[in-house]
Amino acid sequence: MNTNAVVEVRNLRLKFPGEASLMFKDLSITVPEGQKVLLLGPSGCGKSTLLQVLSGIIPNSIEVPLKYDEIQRSASWGFVFQDPDTQFCMPYVDEELAFVLENLSVPREQMKERIHQALASVGLLLEDPHTPIQTLSQGMKQRLALASILLLEPDVIYLDEPTALLDPEGTVEIWNTVKSIASSKTIIIVEHKIDQIVDLVDRIVLFNHAGEIIADGVPHEIFQKNKQELVQFGIWYPEVWEDYLSSDKYQALQQQYHAELALANELEHTREPVIRLQEFSGFHGDVRKIHVPEAVLYAGEWLAIVGSNGAGKSTFLQSLMQLLRTEGLYQIEGEQIVQTTKRIRKQIVPSQLAFVFQNPEMQFITNSVNEEVSFSSSNVPLSGNDSNGDIQALLNKFDLAGLGERHPYQLSMGQKRRLSIASSIFGGQKIVLLDEPTFGQDARNTFAILEMIEGLRLEGAAIVMVTHDLHIVQHYATRVWTISEGQLIDSRLSGRGGTNGVLYTAENNMALPC
Amino acid sequence: MLNDQEKVSKALKFSDILITVMVAIVFGLIYKFWGSVYGVVSPLFLKADQLTYGMWFIAGPIAFLLIRKPGVALLAELAASSVSALIGSEWGIQTFVYGIVQGLGCEIIFALFLYRNYSLIVAGVAGLMSGVGSFVVDLAYGYANYELWMLVYKYGLRMISSFVIAGVFAYLLVRALEKTGVTKLIRPVSKSEYASLND
Amino acid sequence: MGFFTPQRITWLYHVNPAFKFIVFVLLLCVALINRNFEFALNQMIVYLLVLILFCGYSWKKTALLLLPFLFVFMSTATSMILFGKGEHMWWTWGLIRISEESFFRGMVLGLKTCSCGMMGMVFALTSKPILFFYALMQQFRMPPKFAYSFIASIRMLPMIMDEFHIRSNVLKIRGKRYARGVKGWYQRLSQYAIPLLAQSIRRAQRVAVAMEAKRFQMSSSRSRTYYYTTSYSRFDAAFIAVMLFLVTFAFVLSD
Ligand SMILES: Nc1ncnc2c1ncn2[C@@H]1O[C@H](COP(=O)(O)OP(=O)(O)OP(=O)(O)O)[C@@H](O)[C@H]1O
Ligand SMILES: Nc1ncnc2c1ncn2[C@@H]1O[C@H](COP(=O)(O)OP(=O)(O)OP(=O)(O)O)[C@@H](O)[C@H]1O
Ligand SMILES: [Mg+2]
Ligand SMILES: [Mg+2]
Repeated sequence: MNTNAVVEVRNLRLKFPGEASLMFKDLSITVPEGQKVLLLGPSGCGKSTLLQVLSGIIPNSIEVPLKYDEIQRSASWGFVFQDPDTQFCMPYVDEELAFVLENLSVPREQMKERIHQALASVGLLLEDPHTPIQTLSQGMKQRLALASILLLEPDVIYLDEPTALLDPEGTVEIWNTVKSIASSKTIIIVEHKIDQIVDLVDRIVLFNHAGEIIADGVPHEIFQKNKQELVQFGIWYPEVWEDYLSSDKYQALQQQYHAELALANELEHTREPVIRLQEFSGFHGDVRKIHVPEAVLYAGEWLAIVGSNGAGKSTFLQSLMQLLRTEGLYQIEGEQIVQTTKRIRKQIVPSQLAFVFQNPEMQFITNSVNEEVSFSSSNVPLSGNDSNGDIQALLNKFDLAGLGERHPYQLSMGQKRRLSIASSIFGGQKIVLLDEPTFGQDARNTFAILEMIEGLRLEGAAIVMVTHDLHIVQHYATRVWTISEGQLIDSRLSGRGGTNGVLYTAENNMALPC
Repeated sequence: MLNDQEKVSKALKFSDILITVMVAIVFGLIYKFWGSVYGVVSPLFLKADQLTYGMWFIAGPIAFLLIRKPGVALLAELAASSVSALIGSEWGIQTFVYGIVQGLGCEIIFALFLYRNYSLIVAGVAGLMSGVGSFVVDLAYGYANYELWMLVYKYGLRMISSFVIAGVFAYLLVRALEKTGVTKLIRPVSKSEYASLND
Repeated sequence: MGFFTPQRITWLYHVNPAFKFIVFVLLLCVALINRNFEFALNQMIVYLLVLILFCGYSWKKTALLLLPFLFVFMSTATSMILFGKGEHMWWTWGLIRISEESFFRGMVLGLKTCSCGMMGMVFALTSKPILFFYALMQQFRMPPKFAYSFIASIRMLPMIMDEFHIRSNVLKIRGKRYARGVKGWYQRLSQYAIPLLAQSIRRAQRVAVAMEAKRFQMSSSRSRTYYYTTSYSRFDAAFIAVMLFLVTFAFVLSD
C-alpha cells in the first residue's frame, strides 16, 4: 500500500441491486495526501458512486453490494453534494452549522464564535446568522454547505458537482472559496463544467461509459493525449465549444441561419410578432416578481434569458404560461390573452405554448416513455399505426429509442431531460418555453438538446429559453434578455449573427456588447 | 406469497428512520385534513364516516411495505398520529395514544410473518389489526355501551375500511411507488446480490 | 403577521415543551378513563379556560379555533345518545332509543373529546417544534436519531408544498383530464400522490446521507452538546401547580 496515500481502493467491485451488470469491475485508485483530483467521464459512468464509496457513504449510509481487496479511507472528510436543497436538515443557517458542532461535541459556549468564523471564511456575510435557509439563493446555499464542511476540519474534501445549479457569478464564487481553503487539503472533485477548475486540479482521472479508468494524469496531458476519447464519449473539455463550432454539423446550421437571416431582413416590415408584451407583470401572491415594460417576440427567434439566481427568470416563463397572476398587455398572434387575475381564478393555459419545467421528474404523468410522448395536449392517447410510427421517429430523434417501455423515473438524468422536452413539444406548439434544459448534462447531450431545439426553431417555432450557459447564449440564441431583480433591463441581438456580439460578465450579470 | 430471500440485514439505518418519519409526517398532515372528509361523509347514512376510518391506519402498512424492516410500522403510525396532534388536530392529543396502540396492532402482524411477507392479504390483516387496536382504546374511552347491534355495525364498518384502505389501498400505493424505482434505494439487499459480485 | 402569531407571549410559552407534553398526556389519561359526567364537564371547562386565558390569542381567533370542536362534539356524542344502551328510557322511535344512561354517556364522550382537542390546541399554539424536540432529547433522553428525523422532516414540508404547486401546474399545462366518478378520483389521487411521495422519499434519503456525512451518529448520545439548551424553570413548577389545582378542583366540584 502506498505510504502517503490518504484514500485508496484496490479491485473494487460494485453492483446496484436489481441491475444486470456490475457498475465497477476491479477498479483501483490511489490518492496521495494533498492532491487535487478531478474525476471526469460521461454522464452515468459512476463518478458520484465512486465518490460515495471512497468517502464511506456507501456502504455506511447507503447499502449497495460491493467488495474489494483493500480499502483505505480517511477518518476526517467532508462532502458537498450536487443539490443545494437536500443537504440541510435544520431550518436556519446558524442551526445548521450548530448541528455540525453538536455532532462534534463542541461546548455550547464556543458555538457562536465558530459559526461566525466559518461563515466569514466562505464569504457568506449575513446580518444575522439566524436566517432561514430557504431565503438564500442557490449560490449562498452551496457556500453554507462549504462552511459546514469547514467546521469538520477535514483532511479530505469530496465535491460532487457543487455548482450544477448556479449562475456564472455563483460558480466563480464557489470555486474561489474552494481555492482559498484548499492549500493543505486533499480534494476529490466531480464536475462537468470544468472551465473554472483546470488550474485548481493537478490530476485528472478519465472514465468511460463502462466505469473503467481509461486515462490518469496531469490535466494538460490528458486534454492533449486523450482528446479522441473525450470527443468520443461526449465529455466536456476546455476547447469543446471551439471544436463544436467548427464541426460540420454546427457550420451547416449556421449557414442555414444566415440564409434565413438574409431572407428575414427583406421581409422585416411585414413580420407580425407572435408575442407582444407591454407593461406586463407577474405576481407571486401579492408581490410583483417580474415586470416587462415592452417586448416583442417573432417566429423563428431563439430568445435566451439570463440573470442571476432568484432574478425572476422562471417567474417570467410561468407568467407567460398564465400559471401566476399577471397584468398588462399580453398578445399572442395579435390576440389579447385572457389573463389570470384575482377575479378570474380559473387559469387557462394558452394553447400556442409548450413548456419544459426546470425539474423533469415533476413533468411526467404516465407510466411509460411511449405513453408519455404520445400523450398530446389534446389528452387523446393517439392510436393506430401511423401515430406509432410518429412516436418511434420522435424517440429516435431524441436518442430514446429502445426505452419506450421504461418508467420515466427509471431513466438517467440526461434521458429524463430529453424525454421531458420530447413530450412537451409533441403537440406542435408554435412557442416553446424551456427552463434550463441543459444543466448537469455532458457535452454530447447538451449539443444534442440544442440541435433539437434548433430544429424546432427552423420549423418556425419561437424559442424562449432560460439558461446560465454563456456559450449557448452566444452561439445559439438570436436574442438575449437580461433579467435583474424582477425587471427586464436589457434586450439585444446576440453574437450568433456575428455582427453585434455579446459578452456575458459574471461581475454585473449583464449581457454587454463586445 | 412468502419471500424466499436469504436472510438479510434488517437493522434500521438512519436513512430508514428519516424516511419513515418523513412519510409519516406527510400522512400526519393527511390525517389532519382527513377529519373534514370524515365530516362530509357522515350524513350519507348511519355511521357512514366509519368507512373512511381506515385512512388513519395507513401510515404503518405503507412504511413497512416500503422499507420492509422491523419497527418501521409502529414508528410510522406513532409519528403520523402525534404529528396530527402537534399541529392542532381537532381530535387533540388523544391521537397520540391511539397511534401507539394502532401501530402495535399492525406491527404484530408483520412480526408474526417474520417481516418476510409483503402480500396484499398480510397488509390487509395488519390494517385490520390497527382497527382492532383503535377498538381497544375506544373501549377504554367508553364506546362499549352501545346497543349490541350498533357495536357490531359500527366496528364492522370500521374493520372493512381498515382492511380496504390501510391494507389494499396501501398495497396498491406502494406497488405504484415500486414502479418508479424509488424502493430500490431503500430496501435491504439480499445475499444473492452480494454473491453475484463474484461472477 | 400570520394567523398563528399570538397577540402576546404568555407564561405558557416559557414552560419546557417536552414537560408540557408529558403532563398533558398524563392528564389525557385521566380524561380518558373518567366515566363521570360532571367531572368530564368540569375538565372541559378547565381546558377551555386555559385555552382562552393563557394562549395569548384574541377572542375572535380563539372563537374561530373553537369552531371545529362543535363538530367533534356532535359527531362523538350523538350516536351514543341515540343508540346507546340504557334502562331508563326517555324516547324511542324505531332503532333510536334515547335513555337517561345513553344521553349522559354520549355527553361524556363528547366532552372528553373536546378536552383532548383543547389540550392539543393549547400545546400546538404555545410550543415551538424545534425546542420541543431539543427538550425531548435533553430532559427525556429521546435518542437524537428520532428527534433530528422529525426536525429534518418538518424542514422539508414547505418543499413538498412547492412541488404540489408545480405538479398542479404541470397537469394543467399538459391538459390532463380525468374520468368520471371513482375512477377519476383515483386517477387524480395517483397523479399527485405518487410523484410527490417518490420525491419525498428520495429527498429524505439524500438528507439522511448528508446528515451522516456531517458526522451525525445514530448511537452515541452521551457526549452530544446542544445549541439550544432547555431546562426546567419556575414556569414548569407554575404549570404543574396550576394544572393540578384546576383538575383537582374540577374533580372535587363534581362530587
Ligand atoms: N440506486 C441505484 N440503483 C440502480 N442504478 C443506479 C442507482 N444509482 C445510480 N445508478 C446508476 O448507476 C450509474 C452511475 O450513476 P452515478 O450517479 O454514479 O453517475 P455519474 O457518473 O455521477 O453521472 P452524472 O454525471 O450524470 O451525475 C448510472 O447509470 C445510474 O443510472
Ligand atoms: N412560489 C413562490 N412564492 C413566492 N415567491 C417566490 C416563489 N417562487 C419564487 N419566488 C421568488 O421570486 C423570485 C424569482 O424567482 P425565480 O424562481 O423566478 O428565479 P430564477 O431567476 O428562475 O432563479 P434560478 O436561476 O435560481 O432558477 C425569487 O425572489 C424567489 O424567492
Ligand atoms: Mg453524479
Ligand atoms: Mg429558475
